[in-house]
Amino acid sequence: MARGRANPLNRFWADRPLALKGLVVVALPLGILIGALVLLYFASVAESRAEDDVRRAFAIQRDTYQVHALLAEAAAGARGYALTGQERFLEPYRKAEASLPQTMVRLDGEIRDPEVRQRFERIRGLTTRKREGLARIVELSQGGASNSALIGEALSANKVVLDAMRAEIDAIQQRENVLLNQRRERVEQVRDRYLMLTAISAVVGLLGSLAAVYLFSTGIVRRVRTLEDNAERLAEGEALLPHADDADEIGRLAHRLARASALLRGREQALRESEERFRLVIDGVRDYGIFTLDSDGVVTSWNPGAERIKGWQAQEILGHHFSRFYPDETRGFLPTAMLDRARQNGTAEDEGWRVRKDGSLFWANVVITALRDENGALRGFAKITRDMTERRRSEEALRVAREEAIAASLAKSEFLSRTSHELRTPMSAILGFGQLLELDEEQFGEQHRAAITQIMKAGRHLLSLINDLLDISSIEAGGTQLSIEPLDMGEVLGEVHGLAAPIVASAGLKFELDAPAKKLVAHADRRRVIQVMLNLIANAAKYHGSGTCVRLKCRSDGAAIRIEVEDDGDGVDPAAVSRLFTPFDRLGQQNRTRLEGTGLGLALSQKLVESMGGAIGYSAPARGARFWFTIPAFAKPRRAAETAAETAPHSIVDPA
Amino acid sequence: MTSLVSAAEILARRILVIDDEEPNVLLLASVLEREGYRDIHCVTDPKKALDAYVSLAPDIVLLDLMMPEVDGFQLLEAFKRHDRADEFRPVLVLTADATLQARRRALAVGAKDFVVKPFDVIEVALRISNLLETRILYQRLRA
Repeated sequence: MARGRANPLNRFWADRPLALKGLVVVALPLGILIGALVLLYFASVAESRAEDDVRRAFAIQRDTYQVHALLAEAAAGARGYALTGQERFLEPYRKAEASLPQTMVRLDGEIRDPEVRQRFERIRGLTTRKREGLARIVELSQGGASNSALIGEALSANKVVLDAMRAEIDAIQQRENVLLNQRRERVEQVRDRYLMLTAISAVVGLLGSLAAVYLFSTGIVRRVRTLEDNAERLAEGEALLPHADDADEIGRLAHRLARASALLRGREQALRESEERFRLVIDGVRDYGIFTLDSDGVVTSWNPGAERIKGWQAQEILGHHFSRFYPDETRGFLPTAMLDRARQNGTAEDEGWRVRKDGSLFWANVVITALRDENGALRGFAKITRDMTERRRSEEALRVAREEAIAASLAKSEFLSRTSHELRTPMSAILGFGQLLELDEEQFGEQHRAAITQIMKAGRHLLSLINDLLDISSIEAGGTQLSIEPLDMGEVLGEVHGLAAPIVASAGLKFELDAPAKKLVAHADRRRVIQVMLNLIANAAKYHGSGTCVRLKCRSDGAAIRIEVEDDGDGVDPAAVSRLFTPFDRLGQQNRTRLEGTGLGLALSQKLVESMGGAIGYSAPARGARFWFTIPAFAKPRRAAETAAETAPHSIVDPA
Repeated sequence: MTSLVSAAEILARRILVIDDEEPNVLLLASVLEREGYRDIHCVTDPKKALDAYVSLAPDIVLLDLMMPEVDGFQLLEAFKRHDRADEFRPVLVLTADATLQARRRALAVGAKDFVVKPFDVIEVALRISNLLETRILYQRLRA
């Protein structure tokens, strides 16, 4: 950027602000001009001093002549007085006596030259002698004629003094003349020199300021032009010319321009990169057809995903209306409708059949989004298409499978229900006639009575089997209506105890009831809960093996109520535990002839408990078997905290 | 059971049994004969049931709900249409359909009682005699 600016002065100057530079450019010639004026002033001062000297020289010459003239007249007067004794001759003498001292003082003040001063001192002495001489003459003359000899002597002596003075004065005059000439010459010289200096400085100042202004302005103009160029380049997006990084205003402006350019370039770069990334993403997407339409629906861009899904190459489809993606049935209205919807709502989504290039149909999910600029003007549309044919197919298959499964389940339930019904009808006749025979059994012999008992026993077993099947099928078909209500478990347990006591007693077992200490309220179907409890108790009574007692327990278990039926018999073979709740899977097949039971009891109990929102399971205590089930506790907020503390984790089948 | 109505009076009443299943009709007839009823009529073809009902004018009807072509519900409606509003002619419904809906529906269209098959023969006999007793008392009150 910087041209070699080795010179620190240049550097310093370039960094000054423009105002200072301007000031310097204006002040420099002004200073030179003022200097010239000062010189002019000094010249005039010197000249006036020289003229002063000249004037003084003339004054000295005049005064010395005056001294001489006064003394000469005084001497003439004194002589006249001495000769005549007439007073009027004393007039010049008196005049000289009056003005001489003043003149001497004036001379003394004006004399500067040492040689003149020397002669003046001699004149002063001579003047004093002359005046004394004259005073003596005058005094003698007043004494009368007797003093004439003395007067004559005095007169002659006096004459010598005046001549000596005359010589001195001539010397002074001569000297002053010399001095005067010298001074005149000096004045001339000084004046000439100053005039010359003034002229030179004026010329130099003028030229200098012209040069400074020229350089200054051309420098600024050049730099401003560079700036202008760079601004132009900035607008055109071209690289800027190098500029001197001066610290004045233009330099700073250039610097800012450069920074703006760098910033702009950075942004352009970022934009380019972003666009590139965006393009890569769009091009990289294979599963979605992403393309744009202009506001009339003509395709303006096309990504490889669209190519893959629809079959057209970009160059084949660009410039064509997108309605060709629609099958004949919808081509007339749907494309327009979609664009209208996107225009109104910002976006429009649709799922339906679309056409590939080869004419084949595919099921597409389409989203059209209106593209608007920052002023809200419509710029076109982005359209994203996804080939959903496979998914639609699998969904369809899934739906069919589900419907078939539901139909099968319904058919099964219907079949079971129907079968049970059909079975109950003949059972009615069998059990009814059997009961009639039982009622009249005294008419029969022992053998027949036993046969009647067997018929009734088998018939009742068959009936309970049919009833359980009907129950299970009804629950599976969702046809069972539960009557869920708050149940006081203490009361329910009491009822069950009463109902089950004969069964337990007939099995030769003790029946123990562990009633809860506090009132527990469940939320379940009373009849079904009792049914499940009776079933479990009946199982214990039937299958206990070597047990001595059955225990019915109930306790709170978090948000549930847990009921347990426990015996101290042989327990369940651990290998068979997993099959406990499987329908018809009666454990211990070898005992089948001996033991009653449908093999549906636990399966039915499980369905009933689960339909009420509970769970059922088996856990092996130290001895015997323990079946448990849970039903939801009646949610009463003030009991919640109380019961939460008793929460214990449970699983359907606890390992022994 | 000391009663206002004598046993002989009850046993003399006419009973109509309607069921498409022959064994069930026979069972009910056997139960009734064993109890001592003598005026027992049975219909196994539900299409002839209404005619029998009208011509015999029984004191009580034992009706099966599930029958082909004309089911028990339709017959109950027909009986109700035929009878005068102040007539008390009880219908005891016997059905293998133990669902609550069937029970409610039957009682709603005029059945006076409901028994699920297979039934206890003594219970059925008791219900029949109770209904007949009610009818006799009702007729006495109206006389």
